[in-house]
Amino acid sequence: MLDQLSYTTGEITVAGVAVRYRVAGPENGRAPLVLVHGTAGSIDGHYGYIFPMMAYRQRVIALDWSEPAGDSLELADLVAQVRAVIETTVPEGPITLAGYSLGAVVAAQTAAELGAKVANLILIAGWLKTDTHQLMRNHVWRGLRDQNSPSITEYMTFCAFSPAFTNLKTLDEMRAAANMLTMSAFVDKQMALNTRIDIAAACETITAKTLVIGGTYDMMVPKHHSKQLFGAIEDARYTEIPAGHAVVHERAAELFHHIDRFSAQPDAYPGGAIIPAQKP
Amino acid sequence: MTTQTPILIIGAGFAGLGMAIRLKRQGRDDFIIIERAEDVGGTWRDNHYPGIACDVPSHLYSYSYLPNPDWTRVFSPGGEIQAYIRKCAEDEGILPHIRFGTDMLESRWDEAAKHWAVETSQGRFEARILITGTGHLADGHMPKIEGLDSFTGAVFHSANWDHSVDLTGKRIGVVGSGASAIQIVPEMQKLASDLVVFQRSAPYMIPRRDRAYTAGEMRLCQRDPAVIEEMRSEIFWSGEFNFAQRRNIPRFLQEAKTLAVGHLEANIHDPALRAKLTPDYEIGCKRLLISNGYYPAISAENTTLEASALTRVEGGTAYGTSGQGHDLDVLVFATGFEAVRPPFAARIFGADGVNLDAHWNKGMQAYDSIAVNGYPNLFIINGPNTGLGHNSVVYIIEAQVDYILGALAYIDDTGVEVIEARREAEDSYMDKLHARSQGTVWLAGGCKSWYVDERSGRLTLIWPDFAHSFRDENGSFHPEGYAMSPANIAAE
Repeated sequence: MLDQLSYTTGEITVAGVAVRYRVAGPENGRAPLVLVHGTAGSIDGHYGYIFPMMAYRQRVIALDWSEPAGDSLELADLVAQVRAVIETTVPEGPITLAGYSLGAVVAAQTAAELGAKVANLILIAGWLKTDTHQLMRNHVWRGLRDQNSPSITEYMTFCAFSPAFTNLKTLDEMRAAANMLTMSAFVDKQMALNTRIDIAAACETITAKTLVIGGTYDMMVPKHHSKQLFGAIEDARYTEIPAGHAVVHERAAELFHHIDRFSAQPDAYPGGAIIPAQKP
Repeated sequence: MTTQTPILIIGAGFAGLGMAIRLKRQGRDDFIIIERAEDVGGTWRDNHYPGIACDVPSHLYSYSYLPNPDWTRVFSPGGEIQAYIRKCAEDEGILPHIRFGTDMLESRWDEAAKHWAVETSQGRFEARILITGTGHLADGHMPKIEGLDSFTGAVFHSANWDHSVDLTGKRIGVVGSGASAIQIVPEMQKLASDLVVFQRSAPYMIPRRDRAYTAGEMRLCQRDPAVIEEMRSEIFWSGEFNFAQRRNIPRFLQEAKTLAVGHLEANIHDPALRAKLTPDYEIGCKRLLISNGYYPAISAENTTLEASALTRVEGGTAYGTSGQGHDLDVLVFATGFEAVRPPFAARIFGADGVNLDAHWNKGMQAYDSIAVNGYPNLFIINGPNTGLGHNSVVYIIEAQVDYILGALAYIDDTGVEVIEARREAEDSYMDKLHARSQGTVWLAGGCKSWYVDERSGRLTLIWPDFAHSFRDENGSFHPEGYAMSPANIAAE
């Protein structure tokens, strides 16, 4: 008999669009964990491992972004969706808020706005301010998109995974993984938003106990961005996972380890600490 | 003659040596290891059957503090592992601490003297602290088979291989289809005129991603040990990923099953044979096996898969429960180990004179998977709830050694003489593990396995979580779980 994880789903309306979320896991001494996915992602796509496994530890909430009306996407649109889900599912707080990639940017901005309600913050492969290196990658992506190039998903996959992880696979396996990515107008808007990020001022106001997780071999959002967040946020700790940007796939269990430990004991390491990798 | 020693360690395998090396590295010499055999290595000394290897990659299946650049393969042969263990014992100066040929017969806690009195085949030892490192795979399990005495050929267990028996051209029966059997069967198929495999239940199997390391790769490991560290990290965390399968998350279970079923279908084309090799339980409930050679050997012309358990023997004929008889010259029992009820437990008597095996009449249990109420100053490495179905047990052993070092330091610092796990601490630890075990594939997967104690239905052998969680939770000493005497004078 299989152990089907039971979770409840909900739907709320934010700025006229329906936003779906999931809730699972027991309520206990830990602050509920709210998970925010990244560009071109979803709960299953980015938290397919973390969501069900963390639900054996504690209450977990995650949402799928919805495309707002209008021609462009602003950071505030995504923050509004995250805030609405938090207000619905954990009206009182406190919470632990975790975001990955663009979701980390959204989570940081949300934490700045919500203040003490976000007791703990986890920023996975996020960034503070879009830099030239990111603009260059985004520009190549935009070119492939404009040409309707079939290589676009392979390019994204190539950028997402570390060389070491890629080399555990065959070219055909990597191409098959690339083929699972789908492009959409909403992804286009997220990619455009990615070129305009600057949350430096907001980060200076974050009071949450924060864990910043960088990917040693991240070519999309290289680890210097995570270090910038580590510097910008007052009560931040930093750790690295030897993975590419797709750390949620490459090192899901190691990521789980950091999220689980920090959620259980946010102050196990003081602000300013660089948490060493576990050496098995 | 009585030998006094502050610390007595039983067994010189990965656990006992791992304990001794760390003590020695702390500058301590106040310990003795007793070892029943004449060499170190434990299960790697005893198991030397043809085809033996470990199913955890070698760069992880080794001490973290003694990396070995010379592993020749991803999954090195058993002999290399044994040589590695011996070299560790030599290099770290442990051999002079080992009393070989010394079998622990009976250990009794002496309440008045506050020490363990340990009778061995080589005399008596008295030790303040007793540490068992006897392992899960120490004593071969022989099923009781009707008429086995009448068998006219050679009989031996996989963990006690009789290399004097010439197997070439013989009719060989292999009993079992577990982790040992699937390594033995391809080797026997090459030698035998006819091979019969008695399979009680079909195992799940996935490809073995094995290969030899090049000379350049080995040289790189020597020149840049950070490479070994990176490999250990990669192997460990990809192993950890697979805990989601054991935790029974449908998506990950399905991925594993797709891999296993694909492996079966790619190798076995005969529908009848494929049916016999298709397990009737959920993947991971029993140990998930890795082999590239097993299916080809099973489908070879000289192999017969008897898809039923061996039930009786009459002279030269061995019968499965199906009723089918097979005429054989050799019977190899690859039937596993006494893991659920380890024989060492019947030899250890606690404060009230009851032995651990009797004390554990509802199944093994220990506080923090290491200490038992009623058995003071005893630490069990690799005991209850320390086995893994998805990663390297050496990692668990190292966490337990850290715990014991913490306990010993605490004892030294505080002047405490006797520490004993509190009953309520042990019970609440076990309740926590039991709750965590619910719904895992080991309990819910519909199989009979050595991970579960039949008497209680509890998962007594397996740690029901990530390996890293074991280290997080049990990698350091928790004084609050223990009663101590004299009362801890240093306590605040």
